[in-house]
Amino acid sequence: MNYTRKKILIIIPAYQEEASIARVVNKIRTTLPFVDIVVINDGSTDRTSANAKATGVAVVDLPFNLGIGGAMQTGYRYAERNGYEIAVQIDADGQHNPGDLTKLLAVMEQEDMDMVIGSRFVESSGYRPSLSRAAGITLLSWLVSMVTGKTITDTTSGYRAVNRKVIKLFARDYPTDYPEVEVLILLHKHRLRVKEVPVIMNYRETGASSITPLKSIYYMIKVILSVLIMVTRTRSQVASDG
Amino acid sequence: MVNVYFLAILFSLIFLLAVVDLVRRRRLKEQYSLLWLLVGFLMLFLSLSRVNLEMLAAWLDIKYAPAMLFLFGLIFSFILILHLTVVISKMSERVVILTQEFAILREQLQEKQKVEKE
Repeated sequence: MNYTRKKILIIIPAYQEEASIARVVNKIRTTLPFVDIVVINDGSTDRTSANAKATGVAVVDLPFNLGIGGAMQTGYRYAERNGYEIAVQIDADGQHNPGDLTKLLAVMEQEDMDMVIGSRFVESSGYRPSLSRAAGITLLSWLVSMVTGKTITDTTSGYRAVNRKVIKLFARDYPTDYPEVEVLILLHKHRLRVKEVPVIMNYRETGASSITPLKSIYYMIKVILSVLIMVTRTRSQVASDG
Repeated sequence: MVNVYFLAILFSLIFLLAVVDLVRRRRLKEQYSLLWLLVGFLMLFLSLSRVNLEMLAAWLDIKYAPAMLFLFGLIFSFILILHLTVVISKMSERVVILTQEFAILREQLQEKQKVEKE
């Protein structure tokens, strides 16, 4: 495979993940020895930064919490600055298997994709969400396919690999708060190619999901609003957003 | 002779002086002060001449002329608050960019220092 010779960066956004961060980093390093890793510590007050630094990988410490969008964009800026050809985001809680990345990268290369998403729902990957979560996910995926005309089943997956073109775009323009869904529309607006690849996700090893019931209502409303507004933006507005 | 018109004149004058003083002491940027001065003079103009105000009120079918002062005040407040949230949005975007750039630079600096030590 060609991709092992490319400059690949794994971006791990981490907020209060002291219990799992070192294990996640080490697992990625042993599974994928050909990649570089950067941990974006999003203003954690626990030992996330120290534990990550102890493994020897690059750690970018944000002085305060920017939220997942701001933290991820920091990673993409870092990737752009340091000339990486591929950037991959992997969650710090251990739910993504680094072993699946070779599958993602292979699809990216063979089918010339700009972004590849590790998805829980394509074919059977053994994932059963709760009823309300399933309803939300169905609604978002319907919204995305209405706007883009393409079917994306797992719109909220945080397991994503992107090429240099998208790294540059994200360094300039990345949605705040809950970026996953908006990113799909953004890429569609820029006529970039996205594909899902089935992966198996682990249940959270430590910590809790950042999305509580009340937050998920806000999440849905905010995401739908952002998507609808994004649709009304003209191409020049999309381009000048950075 | 203390009535709403007198109070409105007094308020407009104090308001205008306060705006000028804030600019003098560099507590308010000139660009924002222009907006406030404009409003101050408008308020002053409306309160000075009862006839003007009542004519305008009659034209807009407002029964109680001084209510127009409040109407203008309220409309202006909404516009200004909207403007302020636009300014805040721009500022928070800049803060995010600065924070990201700062964190990346600090990481580079620490890497460099680590290499130099070895």
